[in-house]
Amino acid sequence: MRPEILLLPILIPFASGVLALFTSRKYRGMVALIAAAMNLALACFLFKANVIFTAPWAGFGFEFILRAYQFSGFIIGAAACFAILITLYCTVFLKEKAFSNQFYAYLLISIAMLNGAVLADNLVAMLFFWEGMLLTLFGLIAIGRPGAFKTATKAFVIVGICDLCMMAGIALSGHLAGTLTISKISLDITGLGGLAFILLMIGAISKAGSMPFHSWIPDAALDAPLPFMAIFPGALEKLIGIYFLTRISLDMFKLDPHSWVSMVMMIVGSLTIVLAVSMALIQKDYKRLLSYHAISQVGYMILGIGTLVPAGIIGGLFHMLNNAIYKSCLFLTGGAVEKETGTTDLKKLGGLWKKMPVTFACFAVAAVSISGVPPFNGFFSKELVYDGALERGMIFYIAALLGSFLTAASFLKLGHAAYLGKISKENERAKEAPIQMLLPMIVIASFCIIFGLWNTLPIQKLIQPILGERLEGHNYGGFPTNMMLVIATVAVLLAALINHIFGVKKSGSGLGAVDHIHHAPVLSGIYDKAEKRLFDPYAIGLKIVDVVSKIAWSVDRGIDWVYNVFFVDAAFAVSNGIRSLHNGSYAAYLAWSLAGAGLVIIFLMR
Amino acid sequence: MPALFFLIPLIGVITLNLPFRKLMKKTAFWFAAVLFIFQIVLVSSHRTSFWGTGLVQGSFFNVNFYVDHLTLIMLFSISIVSLASLLVARAMISDENKRFNFINLLITAAIGMNGIVMVKDIFSLYVFLEVAAVSAFIMITINKDKPALEGAFKYILLSAIATIMMLSSIGLLLLIAGDTSFGAISAAISSSPQSMLVKLAMAIFLCGLFIKGGLIPFHGWLPDAYSAAAAPASVLLAGIVTKVSGIYTLIRIVTSLFGFTPAVSKVLLLIGAASIVIGAFAALGQKDLKRMLAYSSISQVGYIIIGFGTGSVLGVTGAVFHLFNHAIFKSLLFVNAAAVEKEAGTVDMDRLGGLSQTMPITGTTSAIAFLSTSGIPPLAGFWSKVIIIIALWQAGYIAYAAVAVLTSVLTAAYLITMQRKAFFGNIAPGLERTKEAPLAICVASIILAAVTVGVGVFFPFVFNNFIMPVKEILIK
Repeated sequence: MRPEILLLPILIPFASGVLALFTSRKYRGMVALIAAAMNLALACFLFKANVIFTAPWAGFGFEFILRAYQFSGFIIGAAACFAILITLYCTVFLKEKAFSNQFYAYLLISIAMLNGAVLADNLVAMLFFWEGMLLTLFGLIAIGRPGAFKTATKAFVIVGICDLCMMAGIALSGHLAGTLTISKISLDITGLGGLAFILLMIGAISKAGSMPFHSWIPDAALDAPLPFMAIFPGALEKLIGIYFLTRISLDMFKLDPHSWVSMVMMIVGSLTIVLAVSMALIQKDYKRLLSYHAISQVGYMILGIGTLVPAGIIGGLFHMLNNAIYKSCLFLTGGAVEKETGTTDLKKLGGLWKKMPVTFACFAVAAVSISGVPPFNGFFSKELVYDGALERGMIFYIAALLGSFLTAASFLKLGHAAYLGKISKENERAKEAPIQMLLPMIVIASFCIIFGLWNTLPIQKLIQPILGERLEGHNYGGFPTNMMLVIATVAVLLAALINHIFGVKKSGSGLGAVDHIHHAPVLSGIYDKAEKRLFDPYAIGLKIVDVVSKIAWSVDRGIDWVYNVFFVDAAFAVSNGIRSLHNGSYAAYLAWSLAGAGLVIIFLMR
Repeated sequence: MPALFFLIPLIGVITLNLPFRKLMKKTAFWFAAVLFIFQIVLVSSHRTSFWGTGLVQGSFFNVNFYVDHLTLIMLFSISIVSLASLLVARAMISDENKRFNFINLLITAAIGMNGIVMVKDIFSLYVFLEVAAVSAFIMITINKDKPALEGAFKYILLSAIATIMMLSSIGLLLLIAGDTSFGAISAAISSSPQSMLVKLAMAIFLCGLFIKGGLIPFHGWLPDAYSAAAAPASVLLAGIVTKVSGIYTLIRIVTSLFGFTPAVSKVLLLIGAASIVIGAFAALGQKDLKRMLAYSSISQVGYIIIGFGTGSVLGVTGAVFHLFNHAIFKSLLFVNAAAVEKEAGTVDMDRLGGLSQTMPITGTTSAIAFLSTSGIPPLAGFWSKVIIIIALWQAGYIAYAAVAVLTSVLTAAYLITMQRKAFFGNIAPGLERTKEAPLAICVASIILAAVTVGVGVFFPFVFNNFIMPVKEILIK
């Protein structure tokens, strides 16, 4: 295999993305679909490859190195699968939209950038592609509904700041290691190394959408085109963010489970799980609810990898794959509902299962998956994360379990409110989505079942090779060995069901199933504040910036005053003073001259 | 041969006045114009057979003439400014007799100035200084109005003091050296550098020159004389007379006779800086256009002195370059002031406005002159100022360099104010019917503006071929 082939997964999607931009509306979908198919074929071809492509680049150690191996092949393959399914979905969903050329272009360029970032074996080259994804992210949000530009800016600022941290981290680790080649870097986390790790970690987890870098995702859920949510926060960003987190945790830095960075990652993970899912619980919009889950699920991945024990890491990576599967499926069902009913507001939905049975089935499969019901895929990955978390501390396990409870509760609520109950009048004429939309959902949903029942397949074939020698011969496939964990999980799920039945009875509707939690004494106040974005780091940041800019403005006015008023007045005061001395008196002039002459003579004669 | 530079005008003045006075009155202007143009051509084509290959020395009635590159630059400035003054006089002085007298005085002043820059004898130098000064006194008062008489009177009195100082100094030097030629005095001074008499002579001579050059605090006469003088006289006075009799002489005396000592440098830098700052501040508050230009002159002369005060090659060449540039753009500004005075009838800036609309040539050339004075690239004034500032910096006088830089902001401020009040904006009430200045004034302003722009644009050529060779005055 020639090493130049590694350029193709970058060049082909990029070129077809540019092409799609200039294609007429009729053929755009076709172009994108062909490109996605070619990308998938390439990904399959590279799946088991082990190639390195090196080209001299800017100098100063900035070499352009692409490296295909087990892990990158896995990520590229997964991304290619999602890309083609979502593109297929879009051919219908975006058919009427004028901006579809931009959407396809940004999507394909994102794929190119993702492929590049995953393949790159040089930190600077990786950063280049990584930032490319930031640009397409901005574009994809901005083409959404009117006003999406603000959300796009928000996403750009948040992710951009985190990428800046990553840039600093790259510079620091390059300085410490003496090389920018990822596979050659091996750093300790003492001193500056720890700082470098934290900076790189911020870049990675912010891409994945972890708290506290999450606040653009719920806004984008409403503003951006829906397929964007399915592919970007749903799949691609998780893949690349967690991929890079794994790379730095396993390859670039020498970490062991007792290091402080492990603790940091687990705390971030646990907090993300609990806080985001708590917010998801009270949402009244299909897409917005899902978007909080997109944040919450990242917590499991970070928690799993943060444990730094094999079970946790495998759980985290497997969860990354599973989450991409069921989360994109969930978003796609949301898109189908939006397309058929024209809304995603849960108050206006209800009883859709009769009208859209396939969509409902796909939703149900994905929902039980994400809730971690055995034997769906989410169950197995969560069990592995629990296993790892329990090994590191009871508190993390409890947080993860609490997250599970709330996830199940919120999906019971969502499913009940959208698909069960009474159908509203506006939706009487809703019908099943077209086949191009159903097919991706069915394929993805079936993977929920396949990866659940035959979980040994992805774990043994895809994920365990990534860890290699760290496994020490263990095999984490198959049904969990620790029955206590399984029992606890099932108990929590049952509790969620009981809670749901209790809530429905109390409020009288599926939508109000969690109102008793929402309006609980202490929680309601916190929820109100959270809904008003008092805890949104971006909003807080904006307020701080506002104050700083006001101070800077007044300082600027002050400086202006010094220049425009003070200096001018002072100059004219001096001028008038000098002028009043020149009173035309000959005697005065003569006196000055003689005094001056006297001084000069004395000075020179000295 | 160089003696012709004052012989021909001298003979010319005599012939103009002896027979056929009536006929001569008509041809006087053309005679003077040809005379000055001839001088311009001769000087700018230097290194011809006229000048020989090297420096030219000659003698006439015991007066030693001496031409080097500094002299050439001064001769060029003298002729071009005199020509401008002549053109302004043609337009501004309507009475034929007065004009004839003025032209005679102008030629006499030119004789004086040509003499100043060419002699190498301290007493002859003094004689020519007086020739130039006396002609200038009369030219100021050519219109016999009261302010002009007052201004000229102040000038005469302070000049008299300067004369006394210089004469005493010359006496002292004669006592020391037994001769008045530069070479003899220089040799005598270098043989006894610590002599108190020499120091006293030097101090008195310098003070006399400071008065002549109008430096702070010896400047009392200057604003009154410049602003009250008849328009063509103010062009000549501001443009060249004070520069030659004060500043050129200072440069020549210090380099040829006394040499740079740390004390001299200190005095020059201090007085230069004071002139720059106080002149600029005083100019800022003026309402009278010509008075503002007078204070601006003080400030600009400060730049020359401060650059010269460094004593370095770069500083001295920069100072000479600024001297030349200042002669050009300050005469240009005074020519413009004359045009405004003639057409608008006033030089009070509060009553002027929008004159660019009716006087486009005057407005444009004034803009060129003020940009050059403020030191805006690529005009000539920028280069000389920059050289002076670099020289200050290189010589380690960083505070003085800062003063020079900051004050150029003030320079720009008052000149922009002038330009805006007089030429830009809406036309002031009562001035709607003004028209472009007479042809003679326009020709003068265009010539001067062209020189300023040309020297700026072809700066490397001009600087390397004409200004840089001036450094020979530092090597004795």
